[in-house]
Amino acid sequence: MISASTFLAACRRSMLPVAALLALAATPPLWAAQPVLRVLAWPGYAEPEVVQRFELEHQVKVELTVVTSDATLWEKVSAHNRDFDVFAVNTAELQRYIAANLVQPVHAGKIPNTHNQLARFRDLSAIPGLMHNGKAYALPYTYTQMGLIYDRKQFRTPPHSISALWDERYRGKVIAYDGGTHNFSLAAQSLRLASPFRIAPQDVPRAAARLIELRRNALGFYTQPAESTQLFMRHGAALMFANYGMQQVQMLKQAGADIGYVIPQEGALAWLDCWSITRDAHDPALAHAWIDHLLDPQASRLLVERQGLSNTMVDDSNGQPNGKPLWLEPPEDTVRRERLWERIRSGDRLTRVLAP
Amino acid sequence: MRFTIAWRLGLVLVMVGLLGTGLTGYFAYQASREQLLKSSEERLLTATQVLMRQVTVALNDVKADVQLIAQHPQAPRILQRSTAGYQALSEENVAKIFEGLMAVHPEYFQMRLIEADNHGMERIRIDRDMGGLLRISGDDLQEKGHYPYVFETLRLPPGSIYVSRATINHETGAHAGEGRPALQVAAPIHDARRHAIGLIVINVDLQGLFAQLAADLPPELKLYLANGRGDYLIHPDPSRSFAFDRGQVARVQDEFPAMAAALNGSQEERTHLVTSNRASDAEPLVAAFGTRTIPDMEGNDAFILGLSQPRESVLSESKQLASITLGIVLSFSAMTVLLAYFLARAFNRPFYRIVAEIRRFSAEGKIGNLPTNRRDEIGELAHSIQLMERQIQHQIEDLQMQQEMLDHQASHDSLTDLPNRRMFLDRLQHALARAKRQDEQLLLLFIDLDDFKIINDTHGHAAGDAVLQAVAQRLRALLRESDTAARLGGDEFIILFEGTWDDAQIEQMVHKVQTAMADPIPYQDIELHSGGSIGYSRFPQDGSTSSTLIAAADQAMYHCKSNGR
Repeated sequence: MISASTFLAACRRSMLPVAALLALAATPPLWAAQPVLRVLAWPGYAEPEVVQRFELEHQVKVELTVVTSDATLWEKVSAHNRDFDVFAVNTAELQRYIAANLVQPVHAGKIPNTHNQLARFRDLSAIPGLMHNGKAYALPYTYTQMGLIYDRKQFRTPPHSISALWDERYRGKVIAYDGGTHNFSLAAQSLRLASPFRIAPQDVPRAAARLIELRRNALGFYTQPAESTQLFMRHGAALMFANYGMQQVQMLKQAGADIGYVIPQEGALAWLDCWSITRDAHDPALAHAWIDHLLDPQASRLLVERQGLSNTMVDDSNGQPNGKPLWLEPPEDTVRRERLWERIRSGDRLTRVLAP
Repeated sequence: MRFTIAWRLGLVLVMVGLLGTGLTGYFAYQASREQLLKSSEERLLTATQVLMRQVTVALNDVKADVQLIAQHPQAPRILQRSTAGYQALSEENVAKIFEGLMAVHPEYFQMRLIEADNHGMERIRIDRDMGGLLRISGDDLQEKGHYPYVFETLRLPPGSIYVSRATINHETGAHAGEGRPALQVAAPIHDARRHAIGLIVINVDLQGLFAQLAADLPPELKLYLANGRGDYLIHPDPSRSFAFDRGQVARVQDEFPAMAAALNGSQEERTHLVTSNRASDAEPLVAAFGTRTIPDMEGNDAFILGLSQPRESVLSESKQLASITLGIVLSFSAMTVLLAYFLARAFNRPFYRIVAEIRRFSAEGKIGNLPTNRRDEIGELAHSIQLMERQIQHQIEDLQMQQEMLDHQASHDSLTDLPNRRMFLDRLQHALARAKRQDEQLLLLFIDLDDFKIINDTHGHAAGDAVLQAVAQRLRALLRESDTAARLGGDEFIILFEGTWDDAQIEQMVHKVQTAMADPIPYQDIELHSGGSIGYSRFPQDGSTSSTLIAAADQAMYHCKSNGR
């Protein structure tokens, strides 16, 4: 026994597949192979609307992988080169990618938006690390200094040295970044070693011990800007090493924190991140198009407005804290720094950290 | 086959039957399919709810274990300064408890007692490794003060529990748990002055825990686990589990769009049914998801638990149903066709029989068999036809009889019943033709009654008639079958003999006729006397045509009459 409403419902249901088929026939099939651009970027580099616009304009799908440490980036590009097309890397790290033949030259001529860049970013040969054998391997995208964020209520005067991170008065109130390369540079700075990027072998135990001290003084370590903001707010932190620089300052201020941002007297590590194309990129032309797209006014504006980072189009040195930028350089041994840091972070004591 | 009414009726019957069974089958199938889908969705939902409850129970078990040890009097004693020997003994006891618990909980990766002092130094630590348990000691113990599960737990009041977010364990030296998805469940240890002096923490193997819970599920059901933001922690496709740990995004709301609304809404406990995944995904799925907030969890995070089933397997039952329904519809349709065929035949047959009978009747005029014993319209029709046939038969018989009578009257004399002149001439013609053909002879006797007029005048016409009748009677008695006697009119008779006659035979015959006629004829109470004059003629001697022969016989009679008197 079938009631009228059931009958009608059944009729309507039976019409549905027909309608769906018609709709399918009218639109291009979703499963049609669409070119894919695999991008490796840092948090905030490729905002959703920027990605979406690129996908629409080029009829491709962007597969975005967000990295939060140099070690992860290296691992991905070196071990899975053919799985990625374009990635953002700082000038210092770029050296080992070039040396390991993991990247291919970038042709500024194919990227019209470079004309809008400031002159100092257009002169690629003047930026250390971009050129190799007369060819450019990356194009500048964004930069910031890694200063110190402090809570104005807990600091009467702004901290002036990087050593503030080790200050026992702030034990359990210090937040640092979970990254071996930069942390060893910080340790070298606080130990007043000759260069933060070249720690002599005999100084490595001192630096490692210094980082164990940092670990003992710290509340915790973060990898992402959002995570750092959460930790800072929740635990009433006093001091934080800003690996993402102005990006974190912006986030904390948006979260309502009363903070200051300072460049320590030793100088702040500063990175200039560039877009580079992997050696095995599927479609280098599409990768060039991506870089061009990220250098257009929308993406560049969002970097500043939403992330607090500097772009290469507008000179905003006025808004930045004064201080000496220490542009990152390739460290003496990235692999060792990362290996030692992993042990330090896991809580090992010096003897075990230094064990072979 | 002709397109008769019966076949037309049969066809209509077949169509009505097919339409009826087809529609009934179709709607019965639709309704049952709906019911099947609904019940399998409900099964999925129930399984999800059961699983959620099990997860809560399992998590509560872990919490109970952590709390049991954290609140055990042994725990603070280890952390408070006392004699080395006594401390070692206490540590030994707690380690044994750890080992005991880990032995019955294969989903525990690691159990630790961590002190608040010494930067969160591990004091007792049991790791699972390669199926066995390892007690970690000495330099292998690590400082964990900078991990959220330590600094967050130490902030908690007595009796509370900390549950970490689900993460991949990147701590080196964690043995079986290293690089694996884990959940840390911890409880603070307080001293008498309610100072947090340490904590107990269990690392729970997330996959192991859920694999255990999902072990009893049918194999086609796939398990999903996501955190409160929708990031997959467990996914049938391992490349989507913990994608955030690799810097990628794989979220439940991207695969199952209906979950977006559930995630954006308030995170109270509820269960949602999601009917399908994105159209672009290879395999269409039916899935049920439940969201549950874990109160002790970092950031009050929630778990989203889901089970999916390939739409294909949900529909396979309905496919079976479809084939059964189709079978029923087909067999009923076949029965309808068969029924219609036999019905049409049963309907046709008596009609054909009646038609054949009517044809036969009109051809032969005989009443045959009609299905008159049927008690239906056909029987009535047959009965009426039979009645009609009988009527027609009667009328035909009457007509024939009348015809015969008329024929007889036209060829016979009404008084004597002897053939009349017309018939006699007819017979004579035939006999002449035959005789000519066969070269035979004919003999004609012409008789004229004597004194007939006198009898008529004396005794009346009735007496004359009686004389004529008697003469006819006597003549008839004299003749052979092949001979013909006829009354030509008035008192004249004529007789035709076939065959060869000699004169003696003729004389004898004439004499016999005269004698017969001379006998008195009784009339009422008198006797009438008549006699006859006879003349004869022969074929071929006296003429070759009927008229010449009759004329010759007549003349001979006349001659005889005038001579004899």
